[in-house]
Amino acid sequence: MKLTQMYKASAITLALGSAALLSGCASTGSGDTAMVAGKEYLLTSTRPNLLHVVDVETNKLLRSCKIPGIFGSNSIVPSPDGRIAYVLTNKWEDVYGFDITNCEKVFSAKQSYQNVQIKTIISLAVSPDGNELYTVQNPVVKHADRFEVQQPRLAVFNTADGLNARAKRFYPVDRRITKIGAMDNGEVILGGADLKAIDPKTGDIRVLKKLQNWQRPADKWVAPDAFAMQAQGEHVGEYILPYFTIKWNGAPGEMEKAEFWWGMNRIDLASGKLESNELVPFEFIFFNLVTDPNNPDIVYGAFNNLSKHSVSQHKTLATEDLEHTYYTINMTRDGSRLYVGGTSSDISIHDPKTLKKTGSIQLPGDMSTADMRIARLRD
Amino acid sequence: MKHLKSFNKKAQLLEKAVADGTTEDVVAMQTVVGCTSTNDPGWEVDPFGGLGSLCQPMESDLYGCADACWWPAQVPDTMSTHPGWSQDVAKANEDWRQIDSVFPDED
Repeated sequence: MKLTQMYKASAITLALGSAALLSGCASTGSGDTAMVAGKEYLLTSTRPNLLHVVDVETNKLLRSCKIPGIFGSNSIVPSPDGRIAYVLTNKWEDVYGFDITNCEKVFSAKQSYQNVQIKTIISLAVSPDGNELYTVQNPVVKHADRFEVQQPRLAVFNTADGLNARAKRFYPVDRRITKIGAMDNGEVILGGADLKAIDPKTGDIRVLKKLQNWQRPADKWVAPDAFAMQAQGEHVGEYILPYFTIKWNGAPGEMEKAEFWWGMNRIDLASGKLESNELVPFEFIFFNLVTDPNNPDIVYGAFNNLSKHSVSQHKTLATEDLEHTYYTINMTRDGSRLYVGGTSSDISIHDPKTLKKTGSIQLPGDMSTADMRIARLRD
Repeated sequence: MKHLKSFNKKAQLLEKAVADGTTEDVVAMQTVVGCTSTNDPGWEVDPFGGLGSLCQPMESDLYGCADACWWPAQVPDTMSTHPGWSQDVAKANEDWRQIDSVFPDED
């Protein structure tokens, strides 16, 4: 039975002692670990393979759940009710689902079997009703004398299958798919060389936006280069993917006349509407973007600095140096705080208005490539 | 191929396949079978020709690059042969002195 059925109270207070022992939960011992419906909780993961749950009101680490296996890549996706955090781990192979209120392991799927090694490169998503989990599998048969690379495929799991789940359906997909996301119409966005969507009931695939194969003339534009690594966008219900391109105003390769641009693909998960356009001149690097929930014209980026951009004006409005490189960024649903994480063992908290640092969350290990998601717990 | 002479059965099969046009498509294997098949030397300068947009400091970026095979030559192959490398060193930025080298097994 899924634990989601067991906790319907709006406020859940856990008994630290026995619950922690039973569930493998390493509580921080910082006092109150009550989790309340309607509140938001930041989820991330670090070495040694741990899933962390942070209260974004207090910015306190509530609990750390032990994840089986070895760290990597530790993509994370919360269930729609915010109660289960699914983590891709054990060197990009296994998926575990944890009830974030008590670290109970409620789902597991080992993808590799026998001599077939299956790696999932980042790709992890949950259906809008929470009933299905999606990964993109890259299988390789390890023969005694050679590797046989097989067709990548979308794997569909039933989350209700709980522990030791096996995929129920497979559909062939392109190679090079990393970041995926589920739309409200049931389709799964496939972020690869081009942006596509697959119907996980039929396997039908349609093109959302051509990227590597875009139709712009090659003597005017360089095909976009996208970094589809960490996932975010749950605070506004979107899939967001920055890209880089070059516009040749002279001959191709004539750098003096060229324009270097950041671009952005942004998909509203509810309507399926896609925006794709150049964003701001390429003056510094950001790895990921998030949209301001109070103003979709504003997006924030993070890498060596935190930046604020106007989509309509194609302008960088402000930047703030960060203490070190961070890979990913996320935001509360009310738009009051920015969280910058990934890489090292601290999450930097910033005021979206000024971009100034307002706080920090210290974690017991390095986040490396892990996602940093913000779940909202429902009844 | 015309200057090469096939030496064993596999090479003869390959030579025949090339002649017949029946060679299989080359498919990407990077990451899937290990970091050593990744052809990424790592960044030495940033896209602007400087250093300001490289990850800083290196220790903050170490695991993020090692775990994903972006540094195939600089660190052990964490995807296949040495998945446990550095797993017991939680913080690269604080505990980097504890990160060890790996050596071939002495059988």
